[in-house]
Parts: sequence; C-alpha cells; structure tokens
Amino acid sequence: MPKWFFRAAIVCGVMFVASPFVIASADYESTMGLVQKIFYYHMPSAWMFLTSGIVCGVASVRFLMTGDPRHDRLAWAAAEMAVVFGVVTLVTGPLWARKSWGTFWIWDARTTSSLVQWMVAWAYLILRRYGGPGSEKLAAGLALFGTANTAFIYVSVNYWRTIHPPTSVVPKLPFTMGFPLWFCVASFALLFVLLLRMRVRLEEQRATLDSLYLSMDDAR
Amino acid sequence: MPALKRLVAAAMLAALCASVPALAAQNPPPKVEEYVPISQLPPEDQLPAAPLLIAAYSFVMIVFFLYVVSLSRRLTNVQRDVDRLGATLKQTSKS
Repeated sequence: MPKWFFRAAIVCGVMFVASPFVIASADYESTMGLVQKIFYYHMPSAWMFLTSGIVCGVASVRFLMTGDPRHDRLAWAAAEMAVVFGVVTLVTGPLWARKSWGTFWIWDARTTSSLVQWMVAWAYLILRRYGGPGSEKLAAGLALFGTANTAFIYVSVNYWRTIHPPTSVVPKLPFTMGFPLWFCVASFALLFVLLLRMRVRLEEQRATLDSLYLSMDDAR
Repeated sequence: MPALKRLVAAAMLAALCASVPALAAQNPPPKVEEYVPISQLPPEDQLPAAPLLIAAYSFVMIVFFLYVVSLSRRLTNVQRDVDRLGATLKQTSKS
C-alpha cells in the first residue's frame, strides 16, 4: 500500500474518535431532539452510498468502452462499498424514523429506491462471484441501472410526497449543526477512499495471483 | 346608505377575523398545573431516544470494524498465496 494510505488511515481514525464529541456539541433540533443526532452519521453514509453507485457506474462504462481491467476492478470495489455504506444508511435511517415518524419504515420513493439500489449492488456482487466467465460485462450493464437510480434517489424527496426531509435542509443548516455535519462528511469520505483503495488492492493482488497460476501452467 | 353600512360591517368583520391569529399568537402558552409522568403518555411518545441513538452509532462502528477486519484478512491471504506462488515459480525456473 502507498505511504499516503497509512497517514490517511491515522487521520481517519482520529476523526472518527473525535466525531462523537463534535456531534455532542451540535445544537438539538427543535422538534426531534436527541434522536436527530443520528443524522450526522446517516446522511454522510447515504452520500457515500450514492457516490459508490456513481463510481461503480462510471468505471463500468469505461470498462465496457475500453476493456481495461483496472476499470473493472474499481467497479467491483465500488459495488462492495455500496453494500457496506448502504447497510449503514438503511439501518440508521429506520432507527431515527422510529422516534421521529413513529414507524421504522415507509414505502415512499426515497426509502424504496434506496433499498432497490442496495439490492442492485448485491446483485452485482453475486453476479461477479457466481456468474462465471463473461459475468464482468453483464455486471457492468447492471451497474448502469444502479447509477441511473442514484439520481432518482437524490431528487425523489423533492418531487414525490414523503415525510423524509428534503435536500434543501442541508444548505440551510446553521453553523452549530452544519459544522458537525461537514466534519462527519469529511470523515466518511476519507473512510470511503481508504476502503475503496484497500478493496481495489485486493483485486489487483487476485489478478497477480491468476497470472502467477498461468505462469506455473506454462512452466509445466 | 344601507349598502355603506353593510360595507363597513363587512370591513369590521374582516378586520376582526384577521386579528384573531395575531391575538392568539400573543397568548402565552398554557401554564403547567401538574407534572405528567412519561408512563402516562401515549406509547409512541414514551419511546426514549438514547437507546436508538446508541444503537445507530454502535451499528455503524461494528459494521466498519467487521468490514475492515474482513478486508484485511482477505488481503493477507491473497498476499500470502502470491508470495508462496512467486517463490515456487522462482525455484522452478532455477531448476
């Protein structure tokens, strides 16, 4: 792994240790109170969930156009990130909703499309794991649907009737709530980059292993 | 003249209606005469926030910890196989 990785990992660890203290200093929201503080982990993880979908889709398009396996490895790694950040989003959201909405789940456009996005990411991974030779192109096609869905997830709260907060909430946050949010967004973004790099490294090593096996067969 | 009287009456009525929300807004909140235990509230209002908050934050930390452990183990295993196979190939090429 490169040198920057370890330095960034230390910074990321410190930021995550500090984040509960930063969040504790944030103002309470007037109607939801304490439970609204789930927002500071829920929203950054949701943004990384959507970013994973976009990275996976863009890398898949580039793979389909160029056939370069580096793009395929990045797409595979991003799909796994989507599953990880997706489960965090889909669990923390209902825990917040239980108190503020009175129910764990509602089948509105935002939550339903997020669940679909998470299942698309799972489908991508299952296809890559069990699809056999040629599955990388099928999976790349599937990733395009996931990327199209990310835009739908983002705007869904503004166009369809829902009790989920709209996207206009974030730009209007006062400093006392905005600073903890952007601190957590930076922490999650750094974690996302580090985990993605680690996951890409795993695929690179697997590719090296495959080439070594082929070399051994040739040597025999 | 009756038309003028009706007009004045309607204007006064409209002004009265318009002033009702303003008057209502000026009213102080009702005085708390007694303390109500949380157990007497409806079930949806009794739910404490702290366990949900702690559960959410714990879940996030556990998921990322388990994922990092899983990824590290997979990386270590593949790296070990690469090293072993590389060494075998070197020995094969020498012999």
